[in-house]
Amino acid sequence: MVNLETHAGQLRFKNPVTVASGTFGVKDEFARFVDYRKLGAVITKTITLHPRQGNPMPRICETPAGMLNAIGLQNKGLEDFIEDKIPYFRERKIPLIVNIAGESTEEFSTLARELNRCRKDITALELNLSCPNIEAGGVRAIREQKLISRTIQAVRKETGLFIFAKLSPELGDVLETSREAVRAGANGLTLINTIRGMAVNVHSRKPQIAAGTGGLSGPAIRPIALRYVYEVKQALPKVPVIATGGITTWEDAVEFLIVGADLLAAGTANYVNPRATLDILEGITAYCREKKVKSINELRGSLVTHRRP
Amino acid sequence: MPDEIVTILENGRVNGRYYKLAFRSKGLSRKVLPGQFLEIKVREGCDPLLRRPMSYYRVTGERVEILYESLGRGTTLLASLKKGNELRILGPLGREFSGRINGKKRILIGGGVGVPPLAFLAERYGCYRFFIGTKSKKEVLPAREIHKFREEVRYTTEDGSYGKKALVTELLEELLEKEVKDPEDYFIQTCGPNRMMHRVLEIASQHGVEGEASWDERMACGMGVCLGCMVWTHKGWTPSCTEGPVFRFDEMPEGHLWTAE
Repeated sequence: MVNLETHAGQLRFKNPVTVASGTFGVKDEFARFVDYRKLGAVITKTITLHPRQGNPMPRICETPAGMLNAIGLQNKGLEDFIEDKIPYFRERKIPLIVNIAGESTEEFSTLARELNRCRKDITALELNLSCPNIEAGGVRAIREQKLISRTIQAVRKETGLFIFAKLSPELGDVLETSREAVRAGANGLTLINTIRGMAVNVHSRKPQIAAGTGGLSGPAIRPIALRYVYEVKQALPKVPVIATGGITTWEDAVEFLIVGADLLAAGTANYVNPRATLDILEGITAYCREKKVKSINELRGSLVTHRRP
Repeated sequence: MPDEIVTILENGRVNGRYYKLAFRSKGLSRKVLPGQFLEIKVREGCDPLLRRPMSYYRVTGERVEILYESLGRGTTLLASLKKGNELRILGPLGREFSGRINGKKRILIGGGVGVPPLAFLAERYGCYRFFIGTKSKKEVLPAREIHKFREEVRYTTEDGSYGKKALVTELLEELLEKEVKDPEDYFIQTCGPNRMMHRVLEIASQHGVEGEASWDERMACGMGVCLGCMVWTHKGWTPSCTEGPVFRFDEMPEGHLWTAE
Protein backbone atom coordinates (compact mmCIF):
# COMPACT_ATOMS: atom_id res chain seq x y z
CA MET A 1 0.00 0.00 0.00
CA VAL A 2 1.27 3.42 -0.92
CA ASN A 3 0.33 6.20 1.44
CA LEU A 4 -0.93 9.06 -0.72
CA GLU A 5 -2.35 11.13 2.12
CA THR A 6 -1.51 14.76 1.59
CA HIS A 7 -1.39 17.48 4.20
CA ALA A 8 -1.65 21.14 3.37
CA GLY A 9 -1.51 23.18 6.57
CA GLN A 10 -4.38 21.87 8.68
CA LEU A 11 -6.06 20.31 5.64
CA ARG A 12 -5.86 16.60 4.90
CA PHE A 13 -6.53 15.07 1.50
CA LYS A 14 -6.72 11.35 0.76
CA ASN A 15 -4.45 11.94 -2.23
CA PRO A 16 -2.87 14.93 -4.00
CA VAL A 17 -4.86 14.76 -7.25
CA THR A 18 -7.34 17.50 -8.02
CA VAL A 19 -8.51 19.58 -10.98
CA ALA A 20 -7.76 23.07 -12.22
CA SER A 21 -10.59 25.54 -11.91
CA GLY A 22 -12.75 25.78 -15.01
CA THR A 23 -11.81 22.41 -16.45
CA PHE A 24 -14.13 20.14 -14.50
CA GLY A 25 -17.41 22.01 -14.37
CA VAL A 26 -19.27 23.04 -11.25
CA LYS A 27 -21.23 19.91 -10.42
CA ASP A 28 -21.51 16.44 -11.93
CA GLU A 29 -20.26 17.11 -15.47
CA PHE A 30 -17.59 14.39 -15.31
CA ALA A 31 -19.44 11.96 -13.05
CA ARG A 32 -19.95 9.62 -16.04
CA PHE A 33 -16.19 9.11 -16.14
CA VAL A 34 -14.79 9.82 -12.70
CA ASP A 35 -15.90 8.81 -9.21
CA TYR A 36 -15.27 12.19 -7.59
CA ARG A 37 -14.75 10.54 -4.20
CA LYS A 38 -11.53 9.06 -5.47
CA LEU A 39 -10.00 12.52 -5.96
CA GLY A 40 -8.14 14.49 -3.31
CA ALA A 41 -10.53 17.36 -3.92
CA VAL A 42 -12.57 19.01 -6.64
CA ILE A 43 -11.90 22.66 -7.47
CA THR A 44 -14.89 24.36 -9.08
CA LYS A 45 -15.05 26.64 -12.06
CA THR A 46 -14.88 30.26 -10.88
CA ILE A 47 -18.03 31.41 -9.11
CA THR A 48 -18.89 35.10 -9.26
CA LEU A 49 -21.38 37.04 -7.17
CA HIS A 50 -23.77 37.58 -10.07
CA PRO A 51 -24.40 35.34 -13.10
CA ARG A 52 -22.08 36.12 -16.04
CA GLN A 53 -22.76 35.50 -19.73
CA GLY A 54 -19.07 35.47 -20.62
CA ASN A 55 -17.33 36.58 -23.80
CA PRO A 56 -18.44 36.49 -27.45
CA MET A 57 -17.48 33.63 -29.77
CA PRO A 58 -15.00 32.30 -30.78
CA ARG A 59 -13.67 31.71 -27.29
CA ILE A 60 -11.14 28.93 -27.80
CA CYS A 61 -8.40 28.00 -30.22
CA GLU A 62 -5.95 25.13 -30.26
CA THR A 63 -2.26 26.06 -30.34
CA PRO A 64 0.87 23.87 -30.31
CA ALA A 65 0.54 21.54 -27.29
CA GLY A 66 -2.03 23.84 -25.78
CA MET A 67 -5.05 26.01 -26.24
CA LEU A 68 -6.09 29.61 -25.82
CA ASN A 69 -9.34 30.43 -24.09
CA ALA A 70 -11.25 33.57 -23.32
CA ILE A 71 -14.47 32.26 -21.82
CA GLY A 72 -14.93 35.28 -19.57
CA LEU A 73 -16.02 33.44 -16.41
CA GLN A 74 -19.45 32.41 -17.68
CA ASN A 75 -21.26 30.98 -14.67
CA LYS A 76 -24.67 31.07 -12.99
CA GLY A 77 -23.55 33.05 -9.95
CA LEU A 78 -23.30 32.50 -6.22
CA GLU A 79 -26.96 31.94 -5.40
CA ASP A 80 -27.30 29.09 -7.87
CA PHE A 81 -24.01 27.63 -6.65
CA ILE A 82 -25.13 27.55 -3.03
CA GLU A 83 -28.58 26.18 -3.80
CA ASP A 84 -27.83 23.75 -6.60
CA LYS A 85 -24.15 22.84 -6.55
CA ILE A 86 -22.96 22.67 -2.93
CA PRO A 87 -25.58 20.05 -1.91
CA TYR A 88 -24.23 17.70 -4.61
CA PHE A 89 -20.78 17.70 -3.01
CA ARG A 90 -22.12 17.64 0.55
CA GLU A 91 -24.32 14.61 -0.05
CA ARG A 92 -21.42 12.68 -1.53
CA LYS A 93 -18.83 13.95 0.95
CA ILE A 94 -16.58 15.20 -1.83
CA PRO A 95 -13.88 17.63 -0.63
CA LEU A 96 -14.77 20.90 -2.30
CA ILE A 97 -12.50 23.85 -3.06
CA VAL A 98 -14.55 26.79 -4.30
CA ASN A 99 -12.84 29.13 -6.74
CA ILE A 100 -14.19 32.69 -6.58
CA ALA A 101 -13.62 35.96 -8.41
CA GLY A 102 -15.05 39.42 -7.81
CA GLU A 103 -15.10 42.53 -9.94
CA SER A 104 -14.08 44.46 -6.83
CA THR A 105 -12.67 43.85 -3.37
CA GLU A 106 -16.20 44.28 -2.05
CA GLU A 107 -17.50 41.50 -4.27
CA PHE A 108 -14.73 39.21 -3.06
CA SER A 109 -15.80 40.09 0.52
CA THR A 110 -19.43 39.30 -0.16
CA LEU A 111 -18.58 36.00 -1.82
CA ALA A 112 -16.40 35.03 1.14
CA ARG A 113 -19.05 36.06 3.67
CA GLU A 114 -21.82 34.10 1.94
CA LEU A 115 -19.66 31.03 1.40
CA ASN A 116 -18.50 31.18 5.02
CA ARG A 117 -22.06 30.30 5.97
CA CYS A 118 -21.56 27.03 4.09
CA ARG A 119 -18.10 26.45 5.56
CA LYS A 120 -19.00 22.98 6.83
CA ASP A 121 -19.37 21.87 3.22
CA ILE A 122 -16.27 23.63 1.90
CA THR A 123 -12.67 22.51 2.30
CA ALA A 124 -11.08 25.73 1.07
CA LEU A 125 -11.51 28.83 -1.04
CA GLU A 126 -9.36 29.51 -4.05
CA LEU A 127 -9.15 33.18 -5.04
CA ASN A 128 -8.92 33.75 -8.76
CA LEU A 129 -6.64 36.78 -8.74
CA SER A 130 -5.27 36.13 -12.20
CA CYS A 131 -8.07 35.68 -14.73
CA PRO A 132 -6.73 36.98 -18.05
CA ASN A 133 -10.14 37.31 -19.67
CA ILE A 134 -12.15 39.84 -17.68
CA GLU A 135 -11.71 43.57 -17.13
CA ALA A 136 -12.69 44.42 -13.56
CA GLY A 137 -11.14 41.86 -11.21
CA GLY A 138 -8.98 40.45 -13.98
CA VAL A 139 -5.25 40.01 -13.90
CA ARG A 140 -4.46 43.43 -15.37
CA ALA A 141 -6.73 45.32 -12.97
CA ILE A 142 -5.36 43.42 -9.97
CA ARG A 143 -1.79 44.13 -11.02
CA GLU A 144 -2.29 47.76 -11.99
CA GLN A 145 -4.34 48.65 -8.93
CA LYS A 146 -2.11 46.59 -6.60
CA LEU A 147 -5.12 44.70 -5.30
CA ILE A 148 -3.54 41.40 -4.23
CA SER A 149 -3.10 42.24 -0.55
CA ARG A 150 -6.31 44.20 -0.25
CA THR A 151 -8.37 41.44 -1.82
CA ILE A 152 -6.90 38.68 0.32
CA GLN A 153 -7.25 40.77 3.47
CA ALA A 154 -10.87 41.48 2.61
CA VAL A 155 -11.59 37.78 2.22
CA ARG A 156 -9.60 36.90 5.36
CA LYS A 157 -11.76 39.27 7.39
CA GLU A 158 -14.88 37.36 6.38
CA THR A 159 -13.82 33.78 6.82
CA GLY A 160 -11.60 31.38 8.69
CA LEU A 161 -11.66 29.03 5.68
CA PHE A 162 -8.32 27.96 4.23
CA ILE A 163 -7.44 30.36 1.38
CA PHE A 164 -5.45 29.45 -1.71
CA ALA A 165 -4.44 32.49 -3.79
CA LYS A 166 -4.27 31.62 -7.50
CA LEU A 167 -1.46 33.59 -9.12
CA SER A 168 0.18 33.94 -12.50
CA PRO A 169 3.39 35.51 -13.78
CA GLU A 170 1.22 38.26 -15.27
CA LEU A 171 0.74 39.73 -11.78
CA GLY A 172 4.44 40.52 -11.62
CA ASP A 173 7.32 38.58 -10.07
CA VAL A 174 5.76 35.33 -8.88
CA LEU A 175 7.97 34.95 -5.81
CA GLU A 176 7.23 38.49 -4.73
CA THR A 177 3.46 38.16 -5.27
CA SER A 178 3.53 34.80 -3.47
CA ARG A 179 5.16 36.41 -0.43
CA GLU A 180 2.69 39.27 -0.60
CA ALA A 181 -0.26 36.87 -0.76
CA VAL A 182 0.94 34.93 2.28
CA ARG A 183 1.59 38.11 4.27
CA ALA A 184 -1.95 39.27 3.46
CA GLY A 185 -3.43 36.09 4.91
CA ALA A 186 -3.43 33.43 2.21
CA ASN A 187 -2.73 29.96 3.63
CA GLY A 188 -1.68 28.46 0.34
CA LEU A 189 -0.99 29.26 -3.29
CA THR A 190 -2.16 27.92 -6.63
CA LEU A 191 0.51 28.19 -9.30
CA ILE A 192 -0.05 29.04 -12.12
CA ASN A 193 -3.08 30.43 -13.94
CA THR A 194 -3.03 30.64 -17.75
CA ILE A 195 -0.66 33.05 -19.47
CA ARG A 196 -2.08 35.46 -22.02
CA GLY A 197 -1.38 34.59 -25.61
CA MET A 198 -2.68 35.26 -29.09
CA ALA A 199 -3.26 33.56 -32.44
CA VAL A 200 -4.39 35.07 -35.75
CA ASN A 201 -6.31 33.56 -38.65
CA VAL A 202 -4.13 34.41 -41.66
CA HIS A 203 -7.08 34.21 -44.08
CA SER A 204 -9.51 36.52 -42.30
CA ARG A 205 -6.69 38.36 -40.45
CA LYS A 206 -8.90 38.25 -37.38
CA PRO A 207 -7.67 37.08 -33.97
CA GLN A 208 -8.58 33.41 -33.45
CA ILE A 209 -10.28 34.51 -30.22
CA ALA A 210 -12.98 37.18 -30.39
CA ALA A 211 -11.55 38.90 -27.31
CA GLY A 212 -8.23 39.30 -29.13
CA THR A 213 -6.13 37.47 -26.57
CA GLY A 214 -6.80 34.48 -24.36
CA GLY A 215 -5.19 32.43 -21.62
CA LEU A 216 -2.75 29.78 -22.79
CA SER A 217 -3.03 26.42 -21.05
CA GLY A 218 -1.94 22.83 -21.58
CA PRO A 219 1.44 21.09 -21.88
CA ALA A 220 2.86 24.19 -23.62
CA ILE A 221 3.05 26.04 -20.29
CA ARG A 222 4.11 23.10 -18.10
CA PRO A 223 7.84 23.87 -17.89
CA ILE A 224 7.00 27.45 -16.92
CA ALA A 225 4.60 26.29 -14.21
CA LEU A 226 7.13 23.76 -12.95
CA ARG A 227 9.80 26.42 -12.64
CA TYR A 228 7.53 28.69 -10.59
CA VAL A 229 6.36 25.92 -8.29
CA TYR A 230 10.01 24.96 -7.75
CA GLU A 231 11.15 28.50 -7.01
CA VAL A 232 8.27 29.28 -4.69
CA LYS A 233 8.61 26.00 -2.76
CA GLN A 234 12.35 26.67 -2.39
CA ALA A 235 11.67 30.09 -0.92
CA LEU A 236 8.48 29.30 1.01
CA PRO A 237 8.70 25.57 1.82
CA LYS A 238 5.95 25.63 4.44
CA VAL A 239 3.33 27.25 2.22
CA PRO A 240 1.09 24.62 0.57
CA VAL A 241 1.02 24.85 -3.21
CA ILE A 242 -1.55 23.50 -5.66
CA ALA A 243 0.41 22.99 -8.86
CA THR A 244 -1.38 23.51 -12.15
CA GLY A 245 -0.20 24.16 -15.69
CA GLY A 246 -0.23 21.42 -18.28
CA ILE A 247 -0.35 18.42 -15.94
CA THR A 248 -1.55 15.71 -18.34
CA THR A 249 0.07 12.42 -17.33
CA TRP A 250 1.34 10.85 -14.12
CA GLU A 251 4.91 11.67 -15.16
CA ASP A 252 3.98 15.34 -15.27
CA ALA A 253 2.40 15.06 -11.84
CA VAL A 254 5.47 13.35 -10.37
CA GLU A 255 7.70 16.11 -11.77
CA PHE A 256 5.68 18.64 -9.79
CA LEU A 257 5.82 16.46 -6.66
CA ILE A 258 9.60 16.22 -6.91
CA VAL A 259 9.94 20.01 -6.96
CA GLY A 260 7.71 20.20 -3.90
CA ALA A 261 4.09 20.63 -5.00
CA ASP A 262 1.49 19.60 -2.44
CA LEU A 263 -1.56 19.15 -4.66
CA LEU A 264 -1.58 18.43 -8.38
CA ALA A 265 -4.35 19.84 -10.53
CA ALA A 266 -5.04 18.46 -14.01
CA GLY A 267 -6.60 21.13 -16.20
CA THR A 268 -6.74 21.11 -19.98
CA ALA A 269 -5.99 17.36 -19.78
CA ASN A 270 -9.59 16.81 -18.67
CA TYR A 271 -10.78 18.11 -22.04
CA VAL A 272 -8.73 15.52 -23.88
CA ASN A 273 -9.10 12.60 -21.51
CA PRO A 274 -12.06 12.80 -19.14
CA ARG A 275 -10.39 10.16 -16.96
CA ALA A 276 -7.11 12.11 -16.78
CA THR A 277 -7.31 12.57 -13.01
CA LEU A 278 -7.80 8.87 -12.30
CA ASP A 279 -5.12 7.89 -14.82
CA ILE A 280 -2.71 10.27 -13.04
CA LEU A 281 -3.66 8.87 -9.65
CA GLU A 282 -3.17 5.27 -10.78
CA GLY A 283 0.11 6.22 -12.46
CA ILE A 284 1.51 7.89 -9.35
CA THR A 285 0.56 4.86 -7.27
CA ALA A 286 2.23 2.45 -9.70
CA TYR A 287 5.34 4.64 -9.81
CA CYS A 288 5.58 4.68 -6.01
CA ARG A 289 5.23 0.90 -5.88
CA GLU A 290 7.88 0.43 -8.51
CA LYS A 291 10.28 2.81 -6.78
CA LYS A 292 9.42 1.34 -3.37
CA VAL A 293 8.19 4.69 -2.14
CA LYS A 294 5.91 4.01 0.84
CA SER A 295 4.59 7.50 1.34
CA ILE A 296 4.15 10.19 -1.24
CA ASN A 297 5.81 12.56 1.21
CA GLU A 298 9.12 10.87 0.43
CA LEU A 299 8.78 12.20 -3.11
CA ARG A 300 7.81 15.75 -2.24
CA GLY A 301 10.68 18.14 -2.74
CA SER A 302 13.07 15.24 -3.38
CA LEU A 303 14.77 16.95 -6.31
CA VAL A 304 18.32 15.75 -6.80
CA THR A 305 20.78 18.35 -8.04
CA HIS A 306 23.46 17.71 -10.64
CA ARG A 307 26.97 17.35 -9.33
CA ARG A 308 29.30 20.14 -10.26
CA PRO A 309 32.50 19.11 -11.97
CA MET B 1 -19.37 6.15 -21.38
CA PRO B 2 -16.10 4.43 -22.25
CA ASP B 3 -13.21 6.16 -23.97
CA GLU B 4 -13.09 3.47 -26.64
CA ILE B 5 -10.14 2.39 -28.75
CA VAL B 6 -11.25 1.31 -32.22
CA THR B 7 -9.42 -0.15 -35.18
CA ILE B 8 -9.73 1.52 -38.57
CA LEU B 9 -11.44 -0.67 -41.19
CA GLU B 10 -11.24 1.83 -44.01
CA ASN B 11 -9.92 5.36 -44.46
CA GLY B 12 -9.71 7.02 -47.84
CA ARG B 13 -11.08 9.53 -50.32
CA VAL B 14 -14.68 9.31 -51.52
CA ASN B 15 -14.35 12.30 -53.88
CA GLY B 16 -12.14 15.31 -54.51
CA ARG B 17 -12.78 16.68 -51.09
CA TYR B 18 -14.06 14.18 -48.53
CA TYR B 19 -12.53 11.20 -46.82
CA LYS B 20 -14.45 8.32 -45.34
CA LEU B 21 -13.34 6.70 -42.12
CA ALA B 22 -14.89 3.42 -41.00
CA PHE B 23 -14.40 1.42 -37.82
CA ARG B 24 -16.27 -1.18 -35.83
CA SER B 25 -17.82 -0.48 -32.46
CA LYS B 26 -20.46 -2.59 -30.84
CA GLY B 27 -21.22 -0.07 -28.12
CA LEU B 28 -21.46 2.94 -30.36
CA SER B 29 -23.36 1.45 -33.26
CA ARG B 30 -26.37 0.61 -31.14
CA LYS B 31 -26.69 4.03 -29.55
CA VAL B 32 -25.86 6.57 -32.25
CA LEU B 33 -28.55 8.83 -33.69
CA PRO B 34 -28.28 11.16 -36.70
CA GLY B 35 -26.97 14.57 -35.64
CA GLN B 36 -24.91 13.24 -32.76
CA PHE B 37 -21.14 13.41 -32.86
CA LEU B 38 -18.02 11.79 -31.51
CA GLU B 39 -14.68 13.16 -30.36
CA ILE B 40 -11.68 11.56 -31.99
CA LYS B 41 -8.19 11.61 -30.53
CA VAL B 42 -6.30 11.39 -33.78
CA ARG B 43 -2.98 10.61 -32.14
CA GLU B 44 -1.83 10.02 -28.56
CA GLY B 45 0.18 12.82 -26.99
CA CYS B 46 -0.03 16.57 -27.37
CA ASP B 47 0.32 17.20 -31.10
CA PRO B 48 -2.46 17.79 -31.85
CA LEU B 49 -3.66 18.12 -28.28
CA LEU B 50 -7.43 18.29 -28.52
CA ARG B 51 -9.85 15.76 -29.92
CA ARG B 52 -11.66 16.47 -33.17
CA PRO B 53 -15.47 16.53 -33.06
CA MET B 54 -17.05 14.79 -36.07
CA SER B 55 -20.63 13.94 -36.89
CA TYR B 56 -21.70 10.41 -37.72
CA TYR B 57 -22.37 9.63 -41.35
CA ARG B 58 -23.60 6.08 -41.40
CA VAL B 59 -24.05 3.12 -39.05
CA THR B 60 -24.54 -0.33 -40.56
CA GLY B 61 -24.57 -3.15 -38.05
CA GLU B 62 -21.46 -2.56 -35.98
CA ARG B 63 -19.75 -0.57 -38.70
CA VAL B 64 -19.59 3.18 -38.04
CA GLU B 65 -18.69 5.67 -40.79
CA ILE B 66 -17.54 9.26 -40.68
CA LEU B 67 -17.12 11.65 -43.63
CA TYR B 68 -14.59 14.39 -43.13
CA GLU B 69 -12.54 16.96 -44.92
CA SER B 70 -8.78 17.15 -44.54
CA LEU B 71 -8.31 20.79 -43.58
CA GLY B 72 -6.10 21.44 -40.59
CA ARG B 73 -3.43 19.60 -38.69
CA GLY B 74 -5.76 17.10 -37.00
CA THR B 75 -7.75 16.07 -40.05
CA THR B 76 -4.64 15.92 -42.25
CA LEU B 77 -3.13 13.49 -39.78
CA LEU B 78 -6.39 11.54 -39.66
CA ALA B 79 -6.34 11.25 -43.45
CA SER B 80 -2.87 9.71 -43.28
CA LEU B 81 -3.99 6.85 -41.03
CA LYS B 82 -4.36 3.40 -42.54
CA LYS B 83 -6.52 0.34 -42.11
CA GLY B 84 -5.48 -1.35 -38.86
CA ASN B 85 -4.40 1.86 -37.08
CA GLU B 86 -6.11 2.65 -33.81
CA LEU B 87 -8.08 5.68 -32.73
CA ARG B 88 -9.47 6.77 -29.39
CA ILE B 89 -13.09 7.81 -29.61
CA LEU B 90 -15.64 9.21 -27.22
CA GLY B 91 -19.31 9.24 -28.06
CA PRO B 92 -22.07 9.40 -28.98
CA LEU B 93 -22.27 12.98 -27.75
CA GLY B 94 -24.87 15.70 -28.12
CA ARG B 95 -28.50 16.07 -29.08
CA GLU B 96 -29.74 14.48 -32.31
CA PHE B 97 -32.01 15.64 -35.12
CA SER B 98 -35.69 14.75 -34.71
CA GLY B 99 -36.35 11.47 -36.47
CA ARG B 100 -40.12 11.43 -36.25
CA ILE B 101 -41.69 14.66 -37.42
CA ASN B 102 -45.40 13.78 -37.35
CA GLY B 103 -45.78 13.07 -41.04
CA LYS B 104 -44.42 16.46 -42.10
CA LYS B 105 -42.41 16.76 -45.29
CA ARG B 106 -38.73 16.69 -44.36
CA ILE B 107 -36.57 19.24 -46.20
CA LEU B 108 -32.83 18.83 -45.71
CA ILE B 109 -30.32 21.55 -46.57
CA GLY B 110 -26.67 20.69 -46.31
CA GLY B 111 -23.49 22.48 -47.22
CA GLY B 112 -19.88 21.27 -47.11
CA VAL B 113 -19.15 18.90 -44.25
CA GLY B 114 -22.67 19.55 -42.97
CA VAL B 115 -23.96 16.96 -45.43
CA PRO B 116 -22.97 13.72 -43.61
CA PRO B 117 -25.30 13.96 -40.58
CA LEU B 118 -28.19 14.85 -42.90
CA ALA B 119 -27.39 11.90 -45.15
CA PHE B 120 -27.51 9.70 -42.04
CA LEU B 121 -30.90 11.19 -41.21
CA ALA B 122 -32.19 10.70 -44.78
CA GLU B 123 -31.05 7.07 -44.87
CA ARG B 124 -32.75 6.28 -41.60
CA TYR B 125 -35.97 8.28 -41.86
CA GLY B 126 -36.30 9.31 -45.49
CA CYS B 127 -36.86 12.85 -46.74
CA TYR B 128 -38.98 14.90 -49.11
CA ARG B 129 -36.12 16.96 -50.56
CA PHE B 130 -32.39 17.00 -49.88
CA PHE B 131 -30.68 20.16 -51.10
CA ILE B 132 -26.91 19.90 -51.19
CA GLY B 133 -24.70 22.88 -51.88
CA THR B 134 -21.04 22.56 -52.81
CA LYS B 135 -18.39 24.74 -54.41
CA SER B 136 -17.90 22.48 -57.42
CA LYS B 137 -18.38 19.01 -58.90
CA LYS B 138 -15.31 17.84 -56.98
CA GLU B 139 -17.31 17.65 -53.77
CA VAL B 140 -20.33 15.83 -55.16
CA LEU B 141 -20.90 12.50 -53.42
CA PRO B 142 -20.62 9.37 -55.59
CA ALA B 143 -23.98 7.78 -56.51
CA ARG B 144 -23.36 4.74 -54.28
CA GLU B 145 -23.21 7.01 -51.24
CA ILE B 146 -26.67 8.46 -51.78
CA HIS B 147 -28.55 5.62 -53.47
CA LYS B 148 -31.15 5.35 -50.71
CA PHE B 149 -32.40 8.90 -51.30
CA ARG B 150 -31.01 9.75 -54.75
CA GLU B 151 -34.40 10.78 -56.12
CA GLU B 152 -34.80 13.46 -53.48
CA VAL B 153 -31.38 15.07 -53.90
CA ARG B 154 -30.89 18.38 -55.71
CA TYR B 155 -27.40 19.74 -56.10
CA THR B 156 -26.24 23.31 -56.46
CA THR B 157 -22.65 24.30 -57.10
CA GLU B 158 -21.14 27.74 -56.81
CA ASP B 159 -19.32 27.39 -60.14
CA GLY B 160 -22.13 25.61 -61.99
CA SER B 161 -20.00 22.53 -62.69
CA TYR B 162 -22.75 20.23 -61.37
CA GLY B 163 -26.48 20.69 -60.74
CA LYS B 164 -27.74 24.24 -60.68
CA LYS B 165 -25.40 27.20 -60.44
CA ALA B 166 -26.85 28.81 -57.35
CA LEU B 167 -26.62 29.02 -53.62
CA VAL B 168 -28.31 26.07 -51.99
CA THR B 169 -30.57 28.38 -50.02
CA GLU B 170 -32.10 29.59 -53.30
CA LEU B 171 -33.56 26.10 -53.85
CA LEU B 172 -35.20 26.27 -50.45
CA GLU B 173 -36.66 29.70 -51.24
CA GLU B 174 -38.00 28.48 -54.59
CA LEU B 175 -39.62 25.41 -53.09
CA LEU B 176 -41.25 27.28 -50.25
CA GLU B 177 -42.56 30.00 -52.55
CA LYS B 178 -43.87 27.56 -55.13
CA GLU B 179 -45.57 24.89 -53.12
CA VAL B 180 -46.13 25.74 -49.49
CA LYS B 181 -49.78 26.32 -48.61
CA ASP B 182 -49.61 25.32 -44.98
CA PRO B 183 -46.14 25.78 -43.40
CA GLU B 184 -47.15 23.23 -40.75
CA ASP B 185 -46.80 20.51 -43.38
CA TYR B 186 -43.04 21.01 -43.68
CA PHE B 187 -40.00 20.61 -41.44
CA ILE B 188 -36.53 21.88 -42.29
CA GLN B 189 -33.30 20.33 -41.01
CA THR B 190 -30.00 21.95 -41.86
CA CYS B 191 -26.29 21.62 -41.27
CA GLY B 192 -23.49 23.51 -42.97
CA PRO B 193 -21.52 26.73 -42.84
CA ASN B 194 -22.93 29.14 -40.29
CA ARG B 195 -23.59 31.78 -42.96
CA MET B 196 -25.69 29.31 -44.95
CA MET B 197 -27.67 28.29 -41.88
CA HIS B 198 -28.31 31.90 -40.89
CA ARG B 199 -29.90 32.35 -44.33
CA VAL B 200 -31.92 29.13 -43.95
CA LEU B 201 -33.32 30.39 -40.68
CA GLU B 202 -34.22 33.72 -42.29
CA ILE B 203 -36.08 32.03 -45.13
CA ALA B 204 -37.79 29.59 -42.77
CA SER B 205 -38.93 32.42 -40.57
CA GLN B 206 -40.37 34.36 -43.55
CA HIS B 207 -42.46 31.33 -44.49
CA GLY B 208 -43.28 30.27 -40.94
CA VAL B 209 -41.71 26.82 -41.36
CA GLU B 210 -40.24 25.15 -38.29
CA GLY B 211 -37.03 23.20 -38.20
CA GLU B 212 -33.70 22.38 -36.66
CA ALA B 213 -30.12 23.47 -37.30
CA SER B 214 -26.91 21.76 -36.24
CA TRP B 215 -24.24 24.30 -35.32
CA ASP B 216 -20.61 23.52 -35.84
CA GLU B 217 -18.48 25.35 -33.32
CA ARG B 218 -14.87 25.02 -32.28
CA MET B 219 -14.97 22.55 -29.46
CA ALA B 220 -12.61 21.28 -26.80
CA CYS B 221 -14.14 18.96 -24.18
CA GLY B 222 -17.43 17.95 -25.81
CA MET B 223 -18.89 17.60 -22.33
CA GLY B 224 -20.29 21.01 -21.49
CA VAL B 225 -17.34 21.96 -19.33
CA CYS B 226 -15.00 24.27 -21.22
CA LEU B 227 -17.84 26.51 -22.51
CA GLY B 228 -15.94 27.08 -25.74
CA CYS B 229 -18.56 25.91 -28.27
CA MET B 230 -21.39 28.24 -27.36
CA VAL B 231 -24.49 29.11 -29.37
CA TRP B 232 -26.73 32.03 -28.42
CA THR B 233 -30.22 30.78 -27.60
CA HIS B 234 -33.10 32.19 -25.57
CA LYS B 235 -31.23 30.87 -22.51
CA GLY B 236 -28.09 32.90 -23.36
CA TRP B 237 -24.78 31.30 -24.36
CA THR B 238 -25.48 27.58 -24.45
CA PRO B 239 -22.95 24.77 -24.99
CA SER B 240 -23.56 23.19 -28.38
CA CYS B 241 -21.82 19.97 -27.30
CA THR B 242 -24.35 18.99 -24.65
CA GLU B 243 -27.49 21.04 -25.39
CA GLY B 244 -26.87 20.89 -29.15
CA PRO B 245 -25.36 20.64 -31.68
CA VAL B 246 -28.94 20.44 -32.98
CA PHE B 247 -31.17 23.30 -31.89
CA ARG B 248 -34.77 24.02 -32.91
CA PHE B 249 -35.23 27.23 -34.87
CA ASP B 250 -37.52 28.56 -32.15
CA GLU B 251 -34.69 28.24 -29.60
CA MET B 252 -32.72 30.90 -31.47
CA PRO B 253 -33.78 34.50 -30.81
CA GLU B 254 -34.37 36.41 -34.05
CA GLY B 255 -32.10 39.28 -34.97
CA HIS B 256 -29.16 37.95 -32.98
CA LEU B 257 -25.77 36.72 -34.11
CA TRP B 258 -26.05 33.17 -32.74
CA THR B 259 -22.50 32.07 -33.29
CA ALA B 260 -19.17 33.32 -34.50
CA GLU B 261 -19.37 34.58 -38.10
